[in-house]
Amino acid sequence: MTISVFRFAPKTWGSADDLEMVAPIALPSMASPTVILSATVVVFLLLFVSVGPLLWQQSPSQQWLSQISDGPSPAYSVRVISDNGAWRPSALSDMPAGLKVHAANTEYVRLHWPVLEGVTRYRIYRGDAHKPGLGLAIADTSDNYFQDRLQLSRELYRYTIADADTGLLLLAREIRPEAAISAFEAQLQGLIPVTNNTSQWVELPAHPLGTDALGRDMLARLMAGGRTSLFVGVVAPLLYISFGCIFGAIAGLMGGWVDQLAMRFVDFVVALPFLLFMILFRVAFGIGPGENGIMPLILAMLMLSWPGSARLIRGQVLALRSQPFVEASRIAGVGTSRMILRHMLPNVLPMILVAFSFAIPQAIFTEAFLSFIGMGVSPPTTSWGALCNDGIKTLLSHPRQLLLPALFISLSVLAFNILGDALRDATDRRSGVVRA
Amino acid sequence: MAKTLLSRFIVLRSLSTQLIASCLFILVISAPANAQAVDAAQAKVTLALATEPPTLNSAVATDTIAGFILSHLMEGLLVYDANGQLAAGVAERWQLDADGASFWLRESARWSDGKPVTAHDFVFAWRHALKPTTASQYAFIFYPVKNAEAVNNGKLPESELGVRAVSDYELRVEFGQPCPYFLSLAAFMTFLPMREDVLDHWGSRYAADSDKLVFNGAFVLEKWIHGAHLRLRKNSQYWQADSVKINEIDMPYITADPSAQFNLFRDGQIAIAPLDTGLLNEAVERGFDIEYFHTGSLFFLEFNFREGRITANRSFRKAVQRLIDPDLLVNKIIGLPGIKPAYSLFPVTVKGMKDPFREEYPVMRVDPDIAAAREYLAQAKEELGLDKFPPLVLLAGDSPRALQEAEYYQYLFKKGLGIELRIDQQVFKQRIEKMRRGDFDIVAAAWGPDYDDIMTFADLFASWNENNRGRYSNPLYDRWIRLAQHSSDTRTRFNAMAQIQRIVVEDVPILPTYENGSLYVQNPRLKGVRRSIFGGDPFFRYAWIEQ
Repeated sequence: MTISVFRFAPKTWGSADDLEMVAPIALPSMASPTVILSATVVVFLLLFVSVGPLLWQQSPSQQWLSQISDGPSPAYSVRVISDNGAWRPSALSDMPAGLKVHAANTEYVRLHWPVLEGVTRYRIYRGDAHKPGLGLAIADTSDNYFQDRLQLSRELYRYTIADADTGLLLLAREIRPEAAISAFEAQLQGLIPVTNNTSQWVELPAHPLGTDALGRDMLARLMAGGRTSLFVGVVAPLLYISFGCIFGAIAGLMGGWVDQLAMRFVDFVVALPFLLFMILFRVAFGIGPGENGIMPLILAMLMLSWPGSARLIRGQVLALRSQPFVEASRIAGVGTSRMILRHMLPNVLPMILVAFSFAIPQAIFTEAFLSFIGMGVSPPTTSWGALCNDGIKTLLSHPRQLLLPALFISLSVLAFNILGDALRDATDRRSGVVRA
Repeated sequence: MAKTLLSRFIVLRSLSTQLIASCLFILVISAPANAQAVDAAQAKVTLALATEPPTLNSAVATDTIAGFILSHLMEGLLVYDANGQLAAGVAERWQLDADGASFWLRESARWSDGKPVTAHDFVFAWRHALKPTTASQYAFIFYPVKNAEAVNNGKLPESELGVRAVSDYELRVEFGQPCPYFLSLAAFMTFLPMREDVLDHWGSRYAADSDKLVFNGAFVLEKWIHGAHLRLRKNSQYWQADSVKINEIDMPYITADPSAQFNLFRDGQIAIAPLDTGLLNEAVERGFDIEYFHTGSLFFLEFNFREGRITANRSFRKAVQRLIDPDLLVNKIIGLPGIKPAYSLFPVTVKGMKDPFREEYPVMRVDPDIAAAREYLAQAKEELGLDKFPPLVLLAGDSPRALQEAEYYQYLFKKGLGIELRIDQQVFKQRIEKMRRGDFDIVAAAWGPDYDDIMTFADLFASWNENNRGRYSNPLYDRWIRLAQHSSDTRTRFNAMAQIQRIVVEDVPILPTYENGSLYVQNPRLKGVRRSIFGGDPFFRYAWIEQ
């Protein structure tokens, strides 16, 4: 980023005419539509992660195994199914005339068909009834019945029975399983008491943004993930910019060998390859396996990201120190602390703010990247980057699981960048009077 | 193959692989423009490798990747033929009797440098693998051979090992205990021949690079850029070179990410790609032929029995057993056809007396029951004198599936038992190392059979087995194993195995979760690739490319 070294430009005093010609350059308005929009987005995101969980009280780690990778869905009632054992049609049941469905719910679909002469092995295909093709071969069996339990959802399936040896298609039927939940899961989720096994109906919660590959509510996860992402995004820059400012200010104010030494140290830190050391630090600080990685992450960012702001502030302080008004006040006997408060701080503060606003999106992005490659937070804690990492596995079948967190990362990074831009424009005045 | 599991299909999340994964795009671009899955003119097949083999030294290799590469580079006394049956390899004829086996080697077998393969190469290799200084984790597999255990423990000199070269082309093996499955052992990786002069020359650097070993199999290792690229080329010195149709097997991609491999397959860059849950629908929609085989491997949760571990408490393990339902895991979480829930130490592929073992000796199935699990947990709390359970560490692999599974267990433990489970995700090598050191409470491990006999699973949790990572020690278990090992009567053996199966259900040294199946898509022009449990998988020795 380019930030002018001086918050003011020395005014050149020409003739009286010139003086009148100099019109103050209009300040860029902070209130442009983009800025308002991005500020709204920032506020929305902050509300989303702070107030959101109060309004949407689902646990981000609750796994609804009966709703894995569901699309957006309202709350609905399901039947509790307690029988989850192996099944075979009772010897008494009649030989079906065609493909008979003994039961069809999302826990199991039980099929029974007549024994066909000359067929030794049956292959069962299951496909989406709205699409052409047989779909997926889910099993081969030599029996004339089959129980399908494989990730069933409430869509319309077409089951096809074929001869496994010749490929001849024998029977087909469309089936829409009824929503159900196993008694074990209902007990685990606390929907029915542990001692209760009798068949009944329970209500499954709504998922406005669907669920992920482990049946966790996406909306709740985005809120929880945003909390981590924004927390890292704000706290890490706050820490490293503060540290960088203090370091740079000391170097600038003291000057001489202290300055030299400090700046050589800055050079040294700058020379460290960022990503590599970030990962190394994270490993070195790793308190223990599987523990929450936010603190080591912030610490690693603090240790590697401060030199930029240190240089910035040091340069500014150095320049200010030799300004006539500073020298004048020194000659007037103003003490160091008063000088810092009166002259230095007001002149570097806007620059710090601008640096800070640009550091936020950078930090959010760094966290997202590290979590994406698996070096960030550890489960059950999540972040937008970690959500992307989860989502990429199902990119082809359920793109929503990747696109939603990616959208949030993009939105927040863009919004903070635009805000930072506006802040810079507003403070980057080439004219005006120094508040001396 | 043993140790672990980990099939080629796993996503590595190690630092190095990560970087590789992030650079995948660059790799794709830098691959030669004419790279294609199969090249009929040059008889060339291009594949992606999940990870680099940790070592190609057959005496110490333990993983499936090394098994896959070594099965192409080396040939043992016996091999598995195109149908997965035992067939003649370096040995032309053999004779197996109660107290030993004799092998007559073919004189036409050559090393890639032109020297003949002799019985001395086998004697040397076996002695080398058993040397205490080699520290081979597979040393135990030689134990049926006379004095093998004593040699391995340093109690007897290696010359006392019950194997000798009667002549250059005749090998005699003496058994210390009955070993009806020795022929299938003879086809195993650790029994491959090794050249004394090559090993002496390279020392500890043996097999570290493509030029630091010699080959007697159908292919030679032409190129090995660590972490990036392996290439196999047909071995012109191989005694049956005429029947090898494939000239070159190129593996310019090392990525365990199934999505990356699937994309490479879709773009026609590689000939075979594994499928994972998220890719299944896509493959169906694209009309690819989806193929499947049971890899014969068992995935399970292994508990740590070392001093002071909570997991050493039986009531605790029973609580976990009543909580985790393999059926739910397989059908809801994994969701791949062909992967079967596991209830026994022995997968359904294990042979019994006549029929599959599991048909002859059905396993008792334990149904999940939260109420019972909580009762067991309360009991464990009392026995251990704890107020509250401390967080436990679950050591897991770094594939997407392993993480998903681990997160499921984490949730189950929290919700069902109120125990915090911390996930320690490690890359393959690191996980094996942590398992060896016992640095875990529970580990999601797996075991693939090494040889075609039930014992390959059964003796895994015998107290003396190096691969018994949890240091489970049960005198009863050990006794049944000893009994089976010293008996040549099949009924006695299998009855003992039924007892082992019962102990595993009742005492829960491990909790079986699923039996792995592999779903994959394959280029339709590539034919004759053998997918099998034993002898390296996939196997290209008998493959050809259709014009």
